[in-house]
Amino acid sequence: MTSLVPLGAFIAVSAALFFIGLGGVLVRRNAVVILMCVELMLNAANLAFVAFSRRLGVLDERGSVFVVFVFVVAAAEVAVGLAIVLALYRNRPTVDVDEVTEIKG
Amino acid sequence: MLDVLEPLLFALLAVMLLGSGLVVVLADRITTSALFMAFAFLNMAGMFVLLGAETIAAFQVLIYVGAITVLILYGVMFTPQGARPYGLFFQRQTPVGALVAALAALPTVAVAFAFRDSPSPLPRGGDLSGLAASIFTDFAFPFEVASVLLLAAMVGAIALVKRQE
Repeated sequence: MTSLVPLGAFIAVSAALFFIGLGGVLVRRNAVVILMCVELMLNAANLAFVAFSRRLGVLDERGSVFVVFVFVVAAAEVAVGLAIVLALYRNRPTVDVDEVTEIKG
Repeated sequence: MLDVLEPLLFALLAVMLLGSGLVVVLADRITTSALFMAFAFLNMAGMFVLLGAETIAAFQVLIYVGAITVLILYGVMFTPQGARPYGLFFQRQTPVGALVAALAALPTVAVAFAFRDSPSPLPRGGDLSGLAASIFTDFAFPFEVASVLLLAAMVGAIALVKRQE
């Protein structure tokens, strides 16, 4: 039995979520919210990986393997990102990315 | 009965996923954003189950809903919030940012709908055996490199937030 939902629907949801996250990264100024939006974008990419892996799916699970690596990179990214936010907050009490202009050219 | 159930489930998950994604971007309170992010991750796990990737769904719940949400909530706890609650609507970049995202989104979503064919059915036994075979044969070296990356990220995070004595 094949799936009744077309592949394009999954890809469209993935693209829509990706661009919601992108809009958040561009619009929001709180560093922690920006991290959350980056996580949403990574997760949207995971959905596309799994959907396309299903399309070629009888051969192997390579798309899903990439999802596992995306999980690893996302975990590393959020750990280092929060450490940077905390180090920033220690140096000057703000998490607003507009107010951090020390190394602006 | 079953023919209606799957598209219905997909539509429900898609609406909740995109809705909670929008709440993450638009909410004023940062804890609201964080909790709706966790809800979006749960809906994404449902999507993975619908695609037949149960192992990935389990990882999703463990890593995203469990670990990353808790980490983000710690970040919320350690930083001051609510300094600029109006910041979303009264700043210069918002129209430009929204315009750029929308312009890039429209062709992408249009192309995405061009994929008409359905996902293939899974072989019996779920995706775990195929996933494990791929990781421990073809991708064994990247798997080890990923562990080094995690170790480096852990050491880096500790070094970044360590207080200078």
